Amino acid sequence: MAEFVGIDLGTTLSGLAYLKADGNPEIVPNADGERLTPSVVYFDSHEDVKLVGTAARDGGDPDRTIFQVKRYMDDPEHIIKMDGKDWTPSEISALILSKLKRDCSKIVGDINEVVITVPANFNELARKSTIAAAEMAGLKVRRLVNEPTAAAVYYAHSQGVQGRVLVFDLGGGTLDTTILEVVGDNIRILTSEGARHLGGSNFDEILLEAYDEQYRKQVSAALFNDERQRRRSLHAAEDAKKMLSKLQRVSDTIGNDTSGLARIDLTRETFEKLIRNMITRALMLVEQALDSAKLKPSDIDHVVLVGGSSRIPKVKQMLEKHFGKSPKSCGNVDECVALGAALFAKKSARIQEVCNQSYGTLAMIYNAATGEEKVQNSIVIPKNSSIPCSRTQMYVTSEDNERVIEVDITQGEDEDPKYVDVIGRITLEVPPNRPKGCEVAVTFSYDENQRVRALVVDKQSGRSREVAVSYKGAGVLSDEELKRRSSFLRQMRIE
Amino acid sequence: MFKKVLQSISKSLQRQTAPAKPVAPEVKPAPAAEVKPAAKAEKAPAESTLKKIAAPPAPAPEPEKTPEQLCGIEPKMNKDQIRDRLKLLYRRYNRAASSLDGKTRAEADKMLTAIVKVREKTFGEI
Ligand SMILES: Nc1ncnc2c1ncn2[C@@H]1O[C@H](COP(=O)(O)OP(=O)(O)OP(=O)(O)O)[C@@H](O)[C@H]1O
Ligand SMILES: [Mg+2]
Repeated sequence: MAEFVGIDLGTTLSGLAYLKADGNPEIVPNADGERLTPSVVYFDSHEDVKLVGTAARDGGDPDRTIFQVKRYMDDPEHIIKMDGKDWTPSEISALILSKLKRDCSKIVGDINEVVITVPANFNELARKSTIAAAEMAGLKVRRLVNEPTAAAVYYAHSQGVQGRVLVFDLGGGTLDTTILEVVGDNIRILTSEGARHLGGSNFDEILLEAYDEQYRKQVSAALFNDERQRRRSLHAAEDAKKMLSKLQRVSDTIGNDTSGLARIDLTRETFEKLIRNMITRALMLVEQALDSAKLKPSDIDHVVLVGGSSRIPKVKQMLEKHFGKSPKSCGNVDECVALGAALFAKKSARIQEVCNQSYGTLAMIYNAATGEEKVQNSIVIPKNSSIPCSRTQMYVTSEDNERVIEVDITQGEDEDPKYVDVIGRITLEVPPNRPKGCEVAVTFSYDENQRVRALVVDKQSGRSREVAVSYKGAGVLSDEELKRRSSFLRQMRIE
Repeated sequence: MFKKVLQSISKSLQRQTAPAKPVAPEVKPAPAAEVKPAAKAEKAPAESTLKKIAAPPAPAPEPEKTPEQLCGIEPKMNKDQIRDRLKLLYRRYNRAASSLDGKTRAEADKMLTAIVKVREKTFGEI
């Protein structure tokens, strides 16, 4: 049996690693002989089989192929209809995890408990959907860990570095950046920031537009008219993008059956120009992370590159310019998240994490100095507080004779309520006939499993109410439903 | 110096709507309740209030705004002020870029593009 197993459930590629007896992690190949499995599922129309991986990606009908489902893990309305059955993103992910479990356990023995990685800014629903996917695949989730944290754990382990490390993980669908401190064998996360929808597939789409433009100029027709043609062109664009990480210029012949072929020339310079806006956004995320940790670029000892898209030379240059030192690659940029997750499974007690979100409540904030008052998001636990933690803020009630105190629970850092999520509400009944201005204490606590609780105490009456701050809305399966779907999945042919 | 008065979302909206003064048209469909699964699932009374306000009065066609206008950058602002403003906006719209609401996401993407443009104009390209 493999005791310490980590899985990187990526947007484009997934991988599984286990901890060997000597304490070093190793990637376990799938039954197709590949170290990483494309996160793609294909529903065959002839045989009752679900293909996962390269066969699915390169295979057949795009209408029956599911790509990049990770982007929708928190969207309850994203339903995939296939042969009369509705599939949720969580179930599609479960198919990918099932293949990893089945294939890899043939090599390393039974796999029961795993650590699964998620982008640092995955919200609660996306995290819950990931856990549900694992359960459907017959895996118990020991812990979810943020992808850059896992990568940093691997980097610190394999390179034996000490000091402040900034991990820059630019993958297929997301950018994550984390700053942490390595002291001896201990790791303390200082901050994690993420940008969803900033990754290699955005660059592919941008390149595809450029392809289409060049094609139209030459052929006076569109490059693609259906999904199959679009997929093929997208694939070609991705290949060209990868080539441009090594070469200054590439030429490609692309086209379709109806309008014929055209030759496309592309230089690295053009590509860099096309993605410059995205790369600047990436730099702004790095600056945001430094700000959150109250650090300057010169305070960072090591900049570590993770993720397939970190191979793009412009990305390295941008970081080198900003930090005044060249970033280090952790070698196997697309494997280190899974490798780190396997290490994390064993070492989690030595890793001090932070809370991923700010939690607070809505309050009318009155500034005595200026006389100004406005409704704001009043943060009780700021993002990046070391966990476990517990914080209290005092408020006063707003109206005379208030019978019910309502406390909206917010998630998000912005002062402006328009830009935060209200994820729940606590209502507390209080005695009648009280003037406004009674004191109310709001306490949030955050444990190491990233569970949040909120406690509201009315000071005068001593009445209180505590709730688990947990997303329970659309998209979360009941235990029974989960069981039903996992037994359904276990009977399925997945290859 | 700061007095913090608890204010639930429904109350704060009542306060805003009570006076004759109409709600500023730029109040965006509060992502808090519209987009977010929890509020959606709960069907809290707050939602209906929010929806009402969110429905914009038939918007008059506006001329395309410049990146500076979108970002609220004024000519008298110095570089530090611009930097701070861009930081705040980046933080805000980067988060909004992963909203579940397609409209919020599209707005966020437009804003992020504008933020980068202003940054490039003010501080140069990367
Ligand atoms: N040489 C290269 N040059 C540019 N991009 C590359 C190169 N090699 C791989 N990529 C890109 O890297 C991405 C995949 O990276 P990775 O495996 O780290 O992502 P992922 O883990 O699946 O995604 P995420 O972490 O966002 O969930 C793809 O978009 C791929 O095109
Ligand atoms: Mg990744």
